Amino acid sequence: MGDRIPGSKRGWGEVIASLIAITVALIFAFPIYWAFSQSLRNPIDTYTVAGLGVPWINFTPTLNNWIDQLGTPETVQALYNSTVIAISAALLALALGTPAAYAIARFRFERWKNRDITVWFLSQRVLPPVATVIPFYLTMRYLGLLDTKFALVLINATFVLPYVVVILRQTFLDLPVELEEAALIDGAGHWGAFWRIALPLAAPSMAAAGLIIFAFTWNEFLFAVSIGSNTAITVPVHIAGAIDTRGVQFWFMGVRAMTAIIPPVIIALIAQRYIVRGLTLGAVRG
Amino acid sequence: MRWTGNIRFLLLAPAVIWVLAFTVFPLGYSLYLAFYKIEQKVEVKREKQPMLDAAGKPMLDDSGQPRTKNVVIKDQVNSATFIGLDNFKRLFGDPQVKEAIRVTLLFVLIAVPLELVFGFLLAVLFNQHIFGRPVLRAVMILPIFATPLAVGYTFFTIFYEVGGPLAWTGIPFLSNPNGALASVILVDIWQWTPFCFLVFLAALQGVPEELYEAARVDGASPWDMLKEVMLPLLIPTIVLVLLLRMAEALKLFDIPFAMTGGGPGVATQPFSLLAFRTGLRFFDLGYASAMAYALLIVVMVVITLFFRRLRVSYG
Repeated sequence: MGDRIPGSKRGWGEVIASLIAITVALIFAFPIYWAFSQSLRNPIDTYTVAGLGVPWINFTPTLNNWIDQLGTPETVQALYNSTVIAISAALLALALGTPAAYAIARFRFERWKNRDITVWFLSQRVLPPVATVIPFYLTMRYLGLLDTKFALVLINATFVLPYVVVILRQTFLDLPVELEEAALIDGAGHWGAFWRIALPLAAPSMAAAGLIIFAFTWNEFLFAVSIGSNTAITVPVHIAGAIDTRGVQFWFMGVRAMTAIIPPVIIALIAQRYIVRGLTLGAVRG
Repeated sequence: MRWTGNIRFLLLAPAVIWVLAFTVFPLGYSLYLAFYKIEQKVEVKREKQPMLDAAGKPMLDDSGQPRTKNVVIKDQVNSATFIGLDNFKRLFGDPQVKEAIRVTLLFVLIAVPLELVFGFLLAVLFNQHIFGRPVLRAVMILPIFATPLAVGYTFFTIFYEVGGPLAWTGIPFLSNPNGALASVILVDIWQWTPFCFLVFLAALQGVPEELYEAARVDGASPWDMLKEVMLPLLIPTIVLVLLLRMAEALKLFDIPFAMTGGGPGVATQPFSLLAFRTGLRFFDLGYASAMAYALLIVVMVVITLFFRRLRVSYG
């Protein structure tokens, strides 16, 4: 990131701009902070906490909620399921999408046009998921796969596949084609050029794509709540179940919200450099 | 070098077949469902069955007759009746559908433009020389990746009208129909303004320094700079972000599900939530499929409007 000062003078303008930026960032961070603050409160402090709910200043923090929630088998089950589903879906989508991305980036498809294939994969991403949830539910019921992690892996891999295709397509386009052509001349064949030359070079990008789609799968809710209710419960579904006959227990909700939010957010920070490209499906470079 | 070998089809095939199997097939199936009235009935029968002891022999009562127990047998019976276009006709007269369309449209038309405007202004702000920019930019990434369902519940506690952190304002964030819709919009703005901001910032940083220099030499004011240099250069990015945000906003589901449950009443029930409830809570599968298709058509119209732009972006 280059420092750039379009049309502004250093000095007071800089200070004011910085202050506004810090204020904005604090506003955007507040809800996550609030969930965290809530997770540290005793139930009695829930509705009476003063000010901004700062631990030690506005209330005495406790780890009891965390201990209670993380010791609940259901929470552990949900965290385990979400992790397994997200990793499996990411690996499956990478396995399916990377060769396709390579084919689109390198080969010429005269009849279908390469960019039309790309847009076809993309258009799948903009479909409203509610349009496929009912037939998918019925199909899984027919196959006896309701409430299984397997069904959720299948559908999530489908949702994140377009990301893999467009991100990796761009990665392969950015690689110098000469390396692969040299391998072809040496008689490696197209598969060899892909497997031994292009794939290792694309590995960092694959890792970044994998992280981002892990986060998307982790956050998915509509299919998780439709397909998995008990044994295949995911973290978001577990949160949705937190409202019971005793009403919303804010202190537990804080813990659950934090356990849901922390993994994808950490991943986003790790994969920061790739996020813009990932979120715009490869159209804008960050 | 020949890049036309048949291996290209082998490389492409798994992904294409996968999408056909898990997107195109379900869509076809759901179109089929949309022409049927699907009823799931549970038929309850009572039957007398002999009681068995642990060894599997019938137990006898005092008079030597086999003892019997009443057993309730529940049978789920699915029936599908072809009703042609009736499901689609029903859409037009359904007040819930009308309300869901109103909620979705208001949401898309208010939230998305605000996100783009705020995102653009923030990008211009962050494009300047400011203290701690990498850290502040990292903070702005958090909302985008925060689990929407967790966000919904967190905001439920923030908007809580008795003892919540905003209770002192006296604003009916969740109990008033308009207030609740405004709250849903506010949460979406919180979550997705950073997305617009990040993309616009990336695009602004891609603007060559010389253009700013040239404008400065010509004596352009900051306002001119914004209007004459940044905005025109960002138009392609703005269109792309608009498309992506509109497509996502039309899918709105998680936030109202968690924060308002679609209420009060159905004041914050978007189309997706209505279709989900109709199909997978009330199991009116045919009608829900028709609803989903109506939404699909709207989304397809939006995409078609932007299709050329998309093809250029990925050309």
